[in-house]
Amino acid sequence: MTDKAMRSHAGRRDVIKGGMATAAAAMLPAGIARAELANIPRDKTLTLIGINSRDGRWVDYELWNPYAIGSNHQNGPNLIYEPLAYYSAFADKMYMWLAESFQFTPDFKQLTIKTRQGVKWSDGTPFSAEDVAYTFNTLRDLGPKVKWGVDVNQALDEATVTDPYTVVLKFKIPSPRFFFFATYKYDIGIYMVPKHIFQGQDWTSFKHYDLAKGWPVTTGPWKVVESSLQQKVFDRRDTWWAADQKLAPMPQILRNIWLPSVGEQESAQAQITNQSDFGGPLQPATFPTVMRGNPKITTWSGRKAPWGYVDWWPISLYLNNEVKPFDDPDVRWALSHYIDRKQVIEVAYLGAETVSQLPMPPYKPLLPYFDAVKDLLAKYNTIEFDPKKGDDLLQAKGFKKTGDLWQTPDGKPLTLDIIGFGLSGSAMGPVLSQMLKRHGVTASLSLPPDFDNRFQKGDFSGSIYGHGGSIREPYDTLRLYQSQSIAVPGAHAANFARWKNPEYDKIVDEVYITDPENVAKLKELFRAAMEIWLPALPDIQLVQNYHRIPLNMTRWKNFATEENPIVNNASWHLTYNLVLWNVQSAEA
Amino acid sequence: MQLIYIARRFGVFLVIVWLAATLNFFLPKLSGQDPVRTKLLQEASLGGYVHAGIEDMVKQYQQKFGLDKPLWRQYLSYIDDVSHGDLNYSIANYPLTVADMIRSAVPWTIGLLGLTTLFSFVAGTILGALLAWPGAPHWMRWLMPPLWALHAIPFFLLGLVLMYLFAFQFQFLPIFGGYSPGANPGLTLTFVLDVLRHAVLPALSIVLVSVGGWALAMRGMMVTTMGEDYVTFAEAKGLRSATIFTRYCIRNAILPQTTGLALALGQILSGAVLVEVVFGYPGIGALLFQAIEENDFFLIQGIVFTVIVALGFATFLLDIIYPWLDPRISYRRG
Repeated sequence: MTDKAMRSHAGRRDVIKGGMATAAAAMLPAGIARAELANIPRDKTLTLIGINSRDGRWVDYELWNPYAIGSNHQNGPNLIYEPLAYYSAFADKMYMWLAESFQFTPDFKQLTIKTRQGVKWSDGTPFSAEDVAYTFNTLRDLGPKVKWGVDVNQALDEATVTDPYTVVLKFKIPSPRFFFFATYKYDIGIYMVPKHIFQGQDWTSFKHYDLAKGWPVTTGPWKVVESSLQQKVFDRRDTWWAADQKLAPMPQILRNIWLPSVGEQESAQAQITNQSDFGGPLQPATFPTVMRGNPKITTWSGRKAPWGYVDWWPISLYLNNEVKPFDDPDVRWALSHYIDRKQVIEVAYLGAETVSQLPMPPYKPLLPYFDAVKDLLAKYNTIEFDPKKGDDLLQAKGFKKTGDLWQTPDGKPLTLDIIGFGLSGSAMGPVLSQMLKRHGVTASLSLPPDFDNRFQKGDFSGSIYGHGGSIREPYDTLRLYQSQSIAVPGAHAANFARWKNPEYDKIVDEVYITDPENVAKLKELFRAAMEIWLPALPDIQLVQNYHRIPLNMTRWKNFATEENPIVNNASWHLTYNLVLWNVQSAEA
Repeated sequence: MQLIYIARRFGVFLVIVWLAATLNFFLPKLSGQDPVRTKLLQEASLGGYVHAGIEDMVKQYQQKFGLDKPLWRQYLSYIDDVSHGDLNYSIANYPLTVADMIRSAVPWTIGLLGLTTLFSFVAGTILGALLAWPGAPHWMRWLMPPLWALHAIPFFLLGLVLMYLFAFQFQFLPIFGGYSPGANPGLTLTFVLDVLRHAVLPALSIVLVSVGGWALAMRGMMVTTMGEDYVTFAEAKGLRSATIFTRYCIRNAILPQTTGLALALGQILSGAVLVEVVFGYPGIGALLFQAIEENDFFLIQGIVFTVIVALGFATFLLDIIYPWLDPRISYRRG
């Protein structure tokens, strides 16, 4: 053997050995050393499958500052940051929390908030009015750099601490709804942050995460003990001011484990096999299987359809009011008459749905407003299926049918390209487009990946989307259709339908400055607004949105349900703490 | 001569990385989508409420991420950043950095795909060699049809079937995740075993599909090699059958397989996207899937750039070590 060949032979072996060693090193299990978790039995643990992480990971596991744009309160911060107050639309009840009371001046330009005494952050620092003033003033200063900044900036002039438990907010404009805006309900509310930690930090990049330092600090009953791609673990704190002050029971749950969400099938399997106690939402078609597989699974409506509760987000078929021929109210009404909502519900939701007459949910505090327009709704029946009426409306506007298809007065097909997203788009979209086709509309459906962009920019003819509006009084829903506001300078107009009516805008501004407790006046104004809105029908009302969450009673009971309607039981909403305090061990 | 060869190959590596990085920059931009607006509006859709001043927020963060600048300036910044190893912030998950997000996902993917790729390679190669070898047991022939059939099934589909059988029906193995809820992550035996238990189903779905491919390729090359003169000569010399099989046939037939292995190892970083998604496995494939869904340009670019570098580097290493593996290949040109 030559020297060269020997070198070559030895080198080859070295390379192979080296390669194998490198590969072996790379295959070592990827564990990240963390503080040891206390040993808490499974039956004292509530395991939940979250939402917003459908690829099986908590990307944001280091983000516990809820104001950073990458953060989302739905993923855990909703358990950590307590509010000034909670509101449950289902119980129509306000729970004063870190705030003991609040008082507006008659002109709604000043708000005095009294904070509760005896509240401490988890690091021992007392919670005080300083934290409240700091939170509001910083939001005002940061404006568009952080969540809720613009909302606060539009209204707030200055928040001043007058004594350790009193903060006075002066507003630039009358702001009768400011306290309610800051109150936790659904996904809206202001998170009170600890001044002694957040001061001096850049809120846009501060993570508020360092378990060694006890961050995130909280005033609530849960502390973060583990946060990783795979799980967020919250253990109960033994001392909690609200339990001490008898405002709430000390939770029986000792540990919450939040798992990132996975697919529908995996989530259903986890419920059936008792690996999860509280599900991510499932589709109606999945429930019969889950119920058969596990007799301990229940839902808000028990073990029967609709397997959930009405969310605050009624769904419409939005028509772009700036696009011809949908700028014509008669065309919008004609399309509304072509939609058989009962059939949509049967086919898309297996019957487990209800129709929506107006773009706000039929919650108890809103029922007086539905009553106020009962006669208008009889005249302008937004859920009426009557193709003949639809045909008459189109014919009166010069539309003609060629074969089975409608032609516009200028001889083009009546085309409606519908875009949608998520469950509503995939469930209802095909049914709606087919239904419209049957009545001569050249309809199509797509679920584009840039749906949100297109919808917000008005790059659509038709779109399936909901309404994040009112839950207690009608302002927030009315505001969704306002094209401009004088009462709130610089206000952001949602106006997804791109409908414009100056008279309507004026009424909504008047609603804005009306005391939310003045139901009589609000009813009058609501009716006046609906007298304009209903004939115009900016978007076509379809169905309610339901949250269908499987609740596993194997280990836990007393979840929020139809019979125990403390609050809606969405784990991602800001009111989820109310659900957790009331959950009891199944053995008890 | 070796140094010149290495330098030339390294130069090619750099050019490939630059070209791919350039494509990687421009391709996501072709979608014409605005990742900041997408992020804020997706969140609004999830929350059901559109914040006030969303347009102002979009402008703020476009400025922060440099997305308001002309494309050529964005490109120069990007090239400058990646040349310094700075992959920027994730747009959708600000203030998390792309490097941190990749770092947290890579060990899972390397652990899962590294193991399955090497195992599939070894098992498939040996199996393929034996299937071509006349002296192999006859029953082995029956293995090939099911392996071919499995090879035709996508990873994720087989994964769903395995999940249904072993996680749901028999409940031997966990349904999803990298480790059990409430487990203490750390380098302890309990945790390592837990991680391995969670890796069984995703690994099995990849291995069962891949082994057939490796076996098929190896079998073909073995058949060709067995017809070579040097094998006939070895037989004529009266060498032992096992010696001919290992030293003459496998050793020569394995070379193209080695090339395939190097490329497959390089591709590990791109992950088995759908397998990771199906099993809720927190690897880099699922991270890329999420980044694409959110139009998170910087995250897409960071992951793809890392994959490109890994692939380019694997190819570069292959170029360097090939002459060691096969003395017939020379460093000399021509």
